[in-house]
Amino acid sequence: MLFKSMICFIALGSAVIAGPAAAQQPFDESRYPAFAGQWQNTGRLGVFDQTKPPGRGQEAPLTPEYQAIFEANLAEVAKGGFGDDPVYNCIPEGMPRATTLVLPMEIVVTRNTTYVLMEYLSMLRRIYTDGRDFPTDEDPSWMGYSIGKWVDPDASGRYTALEVETRNLKNPRTFDPSGLPVHKDGETIVKERFYLDKDNPNILHDEITVYDHALTRPWTVLKNMKREPKPIWVESICGEGNVHVNIGGQHYMLNGDGELMPAMKDQPPPDLKHFNQTKK
Amino acid sequence: MRLSLQPTCVLAGLVLVAATGAASAHHSFAMFDMEHPIEISGTVKEFKFVSPHTLLILQVKGDDGVVKDWTLEGGAPGILVREGMTAKSLKPGDEIKATINPLHSGAEGGSYQPLAIKFKDGTPVTQPK
Repeated sequence: MLFKSMICFIALGSAVIAGPAAAQQPFDESRYPAFAGQWQNTGRLGVFDQTKPPGRGQEAPLTPEYQAIFEANLAEVAKGGFGDDPVYNCIPEGMPRATTLVLPMEIVVTRNTTYVLMEYLSMLRRIYTDGRDFPTDEDPSWMGYSIGKWVDPDASGRYTALEVETRNLKNPRTFDPSGLPVHKDGETIVKERFYLDKDNPNILHDEITVYDHALTRPWTVLKNMKREPKPIWVESICGEGNVHVNIGGQHYMLNGDGELMPAMKDQPPPDLKHFNQTKK
Repeated sequence: MRLSLQPTCVLAGLVLVAATGAASAHHSFAMFDMEHPIEISGTVKEFKFVSPHTLLILQVKGDDGVVKDWTLEGGAPGILVREGMTAKSLKPGDEIKATINPLHSGAEGGSYQPLAIKFKDGTPVTQPK
């Protein structure tokens, strides 16, 4: 009886130990495309569509309402202001603007999550590939919530692409530094497909389609990146030396001594009503 | 010394405009007058190799003989490093001349590009890659 109980206990214990282990197959890196490494933008910098000039040249399919918002922004920029671009004030670019890839990024593929580590502003993307669904109670964030799916189109056992959907994005955001607007409702959805070039495995493509209520139709662009054989990484902490400040809706610049300078011609100084301005 | 840009400097201006994309990839550089670059000469007071953009503090003697600090904003350290520039490329006391884009406001500030900076003897601070 004692012997049978021991066998039963050992078997049960083995099952408990083996259960999770059996459910987790060994992570076979060779099944995944060689995304590891440093990737650099090969296209035009500072624009969402790398193939087109900035500003109006992007030919973004904006609704009339958002075209007007964009034009007002451009008028502000023409006077020397920042317009609607929030990044000058150290707000992260967020998605999909982060894909403009000002500085290189690194992709790290793990069993359940693929990480995209961006040098610029130290932005981090987590792309969950464990089969989960989008959360219903999570606060929005600038990088959003990303769910990915590895694609094996010919069932060969080797994945050829990673499809990603990103939602739950926080505002303010713009498509690029020119102030190209996304909708204020924060309901942007970004769908991506990462894949290596079929002729050159050191070229990475990211086909991006943005669904946003500021647009009359989904906007699709193709980003191209090259693998850097001898990568270097440089820390990018925006608060370290940012000299641009917004006070009362006015943009000013700090000089080397931290003193305020006007950025635009005939710009008024800040309102000092909360300071005791009694003359010494 | 602050000089208006002469026609001979058009090439430098073109280099400046071409390189502006990298500098303005972070944010708009609209506060700087990209249409009317100027040449300035001065002594490096401080070269801040900081994010999001590097800062070059240059002591510039005006036409009235008064020396003022100019604050020049350049590319991100990550961009400059990959263009061959480091935190040690410029040090206090270096005498340089540069083609810059001044602030629209007329204050002593502007933007700089590494390729548009030369030491007093004409040696470029960095070479194009």
